[in-house]
Amino acid sequence: MNDLAHPAALEAESPQDSVTEKAKILLVDDEPKSLFALQELLSTLGQNLMVAQSGEEALRLALRNDFAVILLDVRMPGIDGFETARLIRTRDRSKSTPIIFLTAAADEMTSMFRGYEVGAVDYLMKPVIPDVLKSKVAVFVELFRKTERLRESEDKLRRLAAHLISIREEERAHIAREIHDELGQVLTGLKMEVTWLAKRLKDKPLIEKTDSMCALIDSTVQTVRKIATGLRPEMLDDMGLVAAVGWQAKEFQKRTGIRCRAKLPAETKFDIDISTTMFRIFQEILTNVARHSRATRVDIELAVTEAECSLEVVDNGVGIQESELTARKSLGLLGMQERALLFGGDVRITGTAGHGTRVSVTIPLSRKTK
Amino acid sequence: MKVLIADDHPVVRQGLRQMLAVEQDLTVVGEARNGQEVVELSRRVPWEVAVLDYNMPGKNGLELIKELRQRYPGRAVLVLSMYPEDRYAVRALKAGAAGYLTKESAPEELVSAIRKVAGGGRYVTPTLGEKLALELEDNRGKPLHETLSDREYQVMWMIASGKTVRQIADELFLSPNTVSTHRTRILRKMNMKSNAELMHYAIAHHLVD
Repeated sequence: MNDLAHPAALEAESPQDSVTEKAKILLVDDEPKSLFALQELLSTLGQNLMVAQSGEEALRLALRNDFAVILLDVRMPGIDGFETARLIRTRDRSKSTPIIFLTAAADEMTSMFRGYEVGAVDYLMKPVIPDVLKSKVAVFVELFRKTERLRESEDKLRRLAAHLISIREEERAHIAREIHDELGQVLTGLKMEVTWLAKRLKDKPLIEKTDSMCALIDSTVQTVRKIATGLRPEMLDDMGLVAAVGWQAKEFQKRTGIRCRAKLPAETKFDIDISTTMFRIFQEILTNVARHSRATRVDIELAVTEAECSLEVVDNGVGIQESELTARKSLGLLGMQERALLFGGDVRITGTAGHGTRVSVTIPLSRKTK
Repeated sequence: MKVLIADDHPVVRQGLRQMLAVEQDLTVVGEARNGQEVVELSRRVPWEVAVLDYNMPGKNGLELIKELRQRYPGRAVLVLSMYPEDRYAVRALKAGAAGYLTKESAPEELVSAIRKVAGGGRYVTPTLGEKLALELEDNRGKPLHETLSDREYQVMWMIASGKTVRQIADELFLSPNTVSTHRTRILRKMNMKSNAELMHYAIAHHLVD
């Protein structure tokens, strides 16, 4: 999931849509005749039928394919149906693949329970009634399709979110640079011109005018700088995350009166995208502290190792409640999670009523090879 | 004195040129638009002071300063930057710059800075000088505001931001009485008599904007 941000992941977007593909169904029976009968019966569903004549063979196929449903004969030489089902279920890829057991009518009720225990979703007696079998299999095919579709749209949404985040970040950086460099420099030039003019003036009222013009230009420069830094702190690109976090903590204390203590490592620069992600998450955390926590103090610890970058922010406020975290997960919190997830990172938030909130963020540094 | 001007913006270069032209003892011997040009010009033109924009296209400001210092230890680099002093000046000085000015500085300041660094001196603005001094002082003993508890700090900040006891009480969900008690304790701890004194202290120590 974490390669979403990588161009390679975009290949999955190609029109080779799994939804339009045929669903795979696995038929397992040691009797070639039964297999043939099942195949004939189910062929009208128009899906991709695969067959196995033993438990071992079924396991091999289940390793390499995602099946919509597996029809499994209980009585087989070698690994029997139950054992096969159990083994299929232990594997990650097939741990939730629906299994329908097929058994001779003579089998006892107890074996049926055993089947459910190892993960059967249904049980059919031989000889099977064609229409019953067909409609059951059709239901699982439909379910499989829907699950696939859901997974795909989830994937698309996540990719879209990642795309939007990176576009927004690029635009902010671009606008900040334009404002700061272009506007700022023109103002600087303007001020020099005004000063030049002022030097040649003898008239007191005129000199006062140029003075006030200079003051106006100065305050405009300040505003320009504030806007540019608000959009994207130039320090992040210039000096890296450690300096930017230290600066942001000071600014926060200055702006809110909430005391900030930051424990920072020696300044290092690493991947700018990860730095930006960490920084934006940090800003979001501080915003939440200012808005909801009623804290008087925030402790920040940033650590950078070769393997990962981690940030811990602890406040002494009212403490976020479990219900706020899970039930109506705020978009801000969700946004932090998503940002971290893009780089295979993780955000954990815990609150203790009356004792504050702790937010831990970790993002691996080693896996992104750029 | 031979001065090199480096800035990627024509308006700024023109302004600087005009500004320096009126000074009898200063001559602009070269202009560069980026770090690369500075390096190339330096080989041919024996400038004494370079007035550098911190943020030009190409080479990063700090790297450029370091490179110039290494190659021409006898020449002085004065940084003229759009970036606020408090975040960048110390770094620039550490990298070997002889001085740091923001572009808001008055022209006279720039001219006197050029003269000062040309003579081998260093130039910092009074604001930065004060800040560095404060840091020294802070290192010697705890600054007064560090003796406050977290809550007291917050109340102090609010007073310094001009809020009334009533406003503070409302915002912090405290009774006005409690806020007044905090205020009394803050003034005692900080050895002050009035809110005005608190405000002054907070501004001087950059605790408020």
